[in-house]
Amino acid sequence: MGRFIVTRLAWSAMIIVASSILVFLVLRVLPSDPVLARLGASTGVDPEVIARLRAEAGLDDPIISQYLSWLGGVLHGDLGSSYASQIPVAQIIAERLPVTLELTFLAMLTVVLVSIPLALAAVFRGRSIADKAIGFLTSLGISVPLFVVSLILILVFASTLGWLPSRGYVPLTEDPVQNLKLMILPVASLAFAASPLLIRHMRESMSEAESEPYVRTAVGKGAVRARVLLQHILRSSLVPTLTMLGLIVGYTLAGTVVAEYVFGLPGIGSLALEAALKRDYAVLQSVVILIVFMFVITTLIVDIVNGLIDPRVRVGGQRD
Amino acid sequence: MTKKPAVENGPLSKPARRISFGIIVLAVTALTCLLGPLLWHFEATQIGAGLPFLGPGIEHPFGTDDLGRDQLARLMVGGRITVIVATGSALISILIGVIWGVLAAARRGWMDEVLMRTADAFMAIPQIVFALVFVAAFGSSILTLTFIIGVLLAPTTARIVRSVAMSELSADYAVAARACGLGRMRVMATEILPNLLPTVRVQATINVAAAIILEATLSFIGLGIQPPDASWGTLLLQGYGKFYNSAWLVLVPTIWIVVTIWALTATSESLHGRSRRETAT
Repeated sequence: MGRFIVTRLAWSAMIIVASSILVFLVLRVLPSDPVLARLGASTGVDPEVIARLRAEAGLDDPIISQYLSWLGGVLHGDLGSSYASQIPVAQIIAERLPVTLELTFLAMLTVVLVSIPLALAAVFRGRSIADKAIGFLTSLGISVPLFVVSLILILVFASTLGWLPSRGYVPLTEDPVQNLKLMILPVASLAFAASPLLIRHMRESMSEAESEPYVRTAVGKGAVRARVLLQHILRSSLVPTLTMLGLIVGYTLAGTVVAEYVFGLPGIGSLALEAALKRDYAVLQSVVILIVFMFVITTLIVDIVNGLIDPRVRVGGQRD
Repeated sequence: MTKKPAVENGPLSKPARRISFGIIVLAVTALTCLLGPLLWHFEATQIGAGLPFLGPGIEHPFGTDDLGRDQLARLMVGGRITVIVATGSALISILIGVIWGVLAAARRGWMDEVLMRTADAFMAIPQIVFALVFVAAFGSSILTLTFIIGVLLAPTTARIVRSVAMSELSADYAVAARACGLGRMRVMATEILPNLLPTVRVQATINVAAAIILEATLSFIGLGIQPPDASWGTLLLQGYGKFYNSAWLVLVPTIWIVVTIWALTATSESLHGRSRRETAT
């Protein structure tokens, strides 16, 4: 088990480093200049001013030394300052991270609470109407992009029925009720976009387990359907379910870019978008790498938990 | 691939009918977008073709926008960009993905390791987040957007191509070809590549759908196709700003996008089913 965890850790660290190098390179090799973007399209700017601003932002150093000094800063908790507003990036992220964490947490909770019962209902009676209906809904759900779900929810619940607010944010500590009210629609859209993936995956792995000898044995011994389903089938599909859930956390984190934009939430997803629009590379690279980091850590935790649950995962270790 | 017993399938069996339905939807969409603007009597840019914010009617089947422009004409012209970006980036992703996957499967060893680890690292970053970085760096003209989306979809394709190529490589015919003295690369090119076609076909359809979603998402959040050009996503963004005036500006493009993606998904699923049946017989 120890070796398994160490290899997974090393692999995760490698992914984070590799993707940070990639993001760094892509943002620097290119023609569009953040200093010019900051000054706007104004023409008569003194070239000396531009040169000074470039030097201040460290944009004249070789890329490798820029990367290393950034990396050194990260280890000290210093992510540099935003090119646009000069506010330290770490401070901006610290202000915005809680929104995204709350959003992602609530969305994942909803996904789990909705998907597991639905997947169980689908396999409960084999090829039943419930199974077909759920199958149809999941394939429909997979075809619908996140932003479309958000728009439909706004159209129905905010603009037509007027039950819920469509935009805005209030911190949880200030007004919990209003905060949750504002979270309902974004959470619902993220959950609606992600649940079909989990339901479909669970349905497949559970119907695979259905034909396993131990399930037949359980049925033969006279166990009732609910017991077979919960004790034998659901349990054996735990590992694939958790793996999928880990991936879904990643999708949901990425989805916050869209959801926070549509619903006007000040999280790190909308921060990344604003930074991309403003060509504020200092903010963009840190936020993107933070999102990668959170995703990789989730995958790591899922892998380790899977290794604990199922010894085959541990011994198999390497993927294909 | 699991070998299933061959099922008797007449020409009008259920999956076959579904694929033709999906393909009809796709053909109608593509033809409407590519040829429609030539035939339709309103120009997409014609301001005041009707009153502003009209709902669907006989004169303007999809209504009009805030400047009284005909929404059907705008959606057809916008659909052109969507179709071009989606098919273009699907082609790029297939091209890169097949070379990537086949090389990894053919060479094995450190080359395989490096190629696949790169694919994993790519896939560790959610596509939309990566797209933010690329668009911020390269801009978002139609051409760059096509390339960016193509590159982003390539790693998944490479993984799938590699795994299928590996299993084909251990099949009897490939072993026999090797035994006859053909080199690995030769076997890959002449024996295995043709057998990857069903997989590639399915993956290409999936990639077109994924590309439409990515492009529309990017344009919708303001990072994609920029005005005066407009893809479906751009039109949706413009409609979103005005949906209190006319919900149709959001509803119609939304429905069209969803139907197109659904048709692509249905087509890829039945293609997948068909290639399975073919290998089974």
